[in-house]
Amino acid sequence: MVSLPVVLAVAGVMFGIGLYGALGQTNAIMVIMGVELMLGAAMLNVVGFLRYSWPHATSGAFFVLIVMTLMAVEAAVGFALVVSAFRNSRTAEIDDLTELKG
Amino acid sequence: MSNLATALVFWPSTALMLVTGANVFRTSSMARAGLLLLAALGIEGLVFLSLASEFLGVLQLLMMSGEMVIMVFFMVMFMPDPGGLMGMDMTHDKRRAATLAAAVGVGLAVLAVLTDWPARVIGTSAPDVRAIGFEVMGRSMVTFLFAAMTILFAMVGGVLLAKHGGRYGRDD
Repeated sequence: MVSLPVVLAVAGVMFGIGLYGALGQTNAIMVIMGVELMLGAAMLNVVGFLRYSWPHATSGAFFVLIVMTLMAVEAAVGFALVVSAFRNSRTAEIDDLTELKG
Repeated sequence: MSNLATALVFWPSTALMLVTGANVFRTSSMARAGLLLLAALGIEGLVFLSLASEFLGVLQLLMMSGEMVIMVFFMVMFMPDPGGLMGMDMTHDKRRAATLAAAVGVGLAVLAVLTDWPARVIGTSAPDVRAIGFEVMGRSMVTFLFAAMTILFAMVGGVLLAKHGGRYGRDD
């Protein structure tokens, strides 16, 4: 059966997968994808606590909304940075982006 | 939703979510990677539904489908081989990244299982949409407005970052 430790364990594995993407990928967009998965794991944690520890806590749902907001903001700013870097360096590979100066 | 129904939805969708999530970083095609991420996060919405969070589950499906479709567009724009037909490798320092990620993932999972979490179950059902609506319009109004302003600033900041030229005009 499903319980809080099971949900948290699944979220932990998902966080690890996202971490692998963030650390091991060379393309900036793929790194953003890894971070998205890590934030997804954080949301799963919150939903697990919301379901199994404080089911009637409406404020718990707000943590998930905040993380969703964070995901959208991270993606928007990340894409904009990639556009800017691509314009200056003609690449989105993070190994080639060695200078902050445009 | 009963415990059996929860388990019947939770386990297959969780397994599928983790498999699609891992495959995001195994494919050489960025278009496929984007669609796999859309699938993983969409299935996470199904997991939310199985955990009696209907509002958050539906919201997750809506948010992620929109966000990931935009992400696929960006991938196709910035990749020389978005279809992955040449089978290019997009990884670096693969072994160390995999080792560290596996250690963190397994460590977190073991910690979650071994920790003695407080059992404070008050009821079995999550708050309904009506209660969340009252929360939005009540004491969490400031938080909600802050989130909205953050998105607005991100939109403006994103456009400024991405626009051609800087404060003193075009740079070329």
